[in-house]
Amino acid sequence: MSPAAIEARGLGKDYGSIRALDRLDLEVQDAEFFGFLGPNGAGKTTTVHLLATLVQPSRGAARVAGHDVVRASLRVREKIGLVFQDTTLDRDLTVEENLRFAARLWDLPGRVGGPRIERLLGTFGLLERRRDPVRTLSGGMRRALDVARGILHEPRVLFLDEPTAGLDPRARRSLWELILELRRSLGLTVFLTTHYVEEAEPCDRVAVLDRGRLVALGSPAELKRATGVRSLEEVFLARTGHPLAEPGPG
Amino acid sequence: MRAVYGIVVRELVRFLRQRARAVSSVARPFVWLIFAGAGFATVFSGAGAIDYRRYMTPGLVGMVVMFGALLASLSTVTDRDAGVLRMVLVAPIRRSTVALGKALGATLLGTLQALVVGAILVPLVGLSPTPAGAALALGAVVLTSLALGALGLVLAASIRSLENFAGVMNFVVFPMLFLSGALYPLRRLGPALQLLARVNPLAYGVDLLKHALLADWAGAGFGGELPIALDVAALAVCAGVGLVVAAPLLAREGGVTRTAFRAGAK
Repeated sequence: MSPAAIEARGLGKDYGSIRALDRLDLEVQDAEFFGFLGPNGAGKTTTVHLLATLVQPSRGAARVAGHDVVRASLRVREKIGLVFQDTTLDRDLTVEENLRFAARLWDLPGRVGGPRIERLLGTFGLLERRRDPVRTLSGGMRRALDVARGILHEPRVLFLDEPTAGLDPRARRSLWELILELRRSLGLTVFLTTHYVEEAEPCDRVAVLDRGRLVALGSPAELKRATGVRSLEEVFLARTGHPLAEPGPG
Repeated sequence: MRAVYGIVVRELVRFLRQRARAVSSVARPFVWLIFAGAGFATVFSGAGAIDYRRYMTPGLVGMVVMFGALLASLSTVTDRDAGVLRMVLVAPIRRSTVALGKALGATLLGTLQALVVGAILVPLVGLSPTPAGAALALGAVVLTSLALGALGLVLAASIRSLENFAGVMNFVVFPMLFLSGALYPLRRLGPALQLLARVNPLAYGVDLLKHALLADWAGAGFGGELPIALDVAALAVCAGVGLVVAAPLLAREGGVTRTAFRAGAK
């Protein structure tokens, strides 16, 4: 049996006296679509950065794609793709140059990276903009390019940290369709953080996080049944005693 | 190695696209040649032995290297602001590889700019170095670019915001320039300033350039003042130490999560 895609044991992180993540125990299976639901400041991004080896854990341990995030951070980074909350593209370079830069960072030879870049530009509807500087792209297109950059090296696990934040509803919907399509075609494990319940609905399983603690874990249907409510929003309210989101979209 | 190449290519493409930066970096030494050259020439005690504009040529080439390499390295600060540094840090490459790529990018930019300026400036002031002198000058430019690129990287990795950028530039760049021997010989300075000049990497670079370009005036005391081997060793040490110190500082970029967490917790 292949190891779990993600495995965390007592994983935690403190920033000074702030307990960003308490003690997280978690297992995400291969090809699972896993949602990490919680309000801003719940510790979602901290968890992603711990699993992506960008920060060192204060306690506990984690393995991603079978490799320890502290002892084998390079191996972990080979196997993951990460789409950050804020874009990490070089605005002065063109769409294509950004992808070529990423291909070199991930050590893809030109004969492998070139055709892949072509394919991704097509899939993500960026062929006509390939020679335009990123700063001229719309928010939705930049996001699409961020995702394309994240899967260029064909990772086993893709982390999406609030991928639709700051997008208008239409761009959000089209990005969403793209992500679901990618999952279907590539069968990769997706670890999604979000504070929108509707984005957590299609997940195989959802972990609900609040103030650095895991408060619920299961499929959306299970969670609703176990709590005796009809929405994930109510699940959150019932488990934490306070509502998930501030009123209004955004 | 492909990652290093990728980082260097990106630096070059960005530089070539920023026309204003490229033009001003090439024009700057000529502005100095005209204005500072005219002014300093009137008080320069070497007058008679060597034309002041010739005397300041190695220093001006050194100045181009300094601005070129330091500014290139300091682009790490803007990379952090724009988020690009995070994309680099999540790639499966070591921090030392990132530091090396950045420093080599700075070396390439510093060298290119110095070559363009040198090719115009050296004949313009009537200097005609021997082939060996020209080769030594090229080596001096490359090595000085690398040393200052590595130093710039240490600064950039320590600077947290763009606002501090200008302050650091003024605080580092001008003392470095005035204590480099670019504009006047260092040997007449007081012991305290001499000591400071000894820890100034640019001083070794300029000295090496004087060996290369002003060999004819060495007898009159206007050539290089230190042994060539010492210049080379000092620059190599600066480059090595800079790279070793900068790599873990870049890794401290974990700070992104800390900031993100604070912003989210507000």
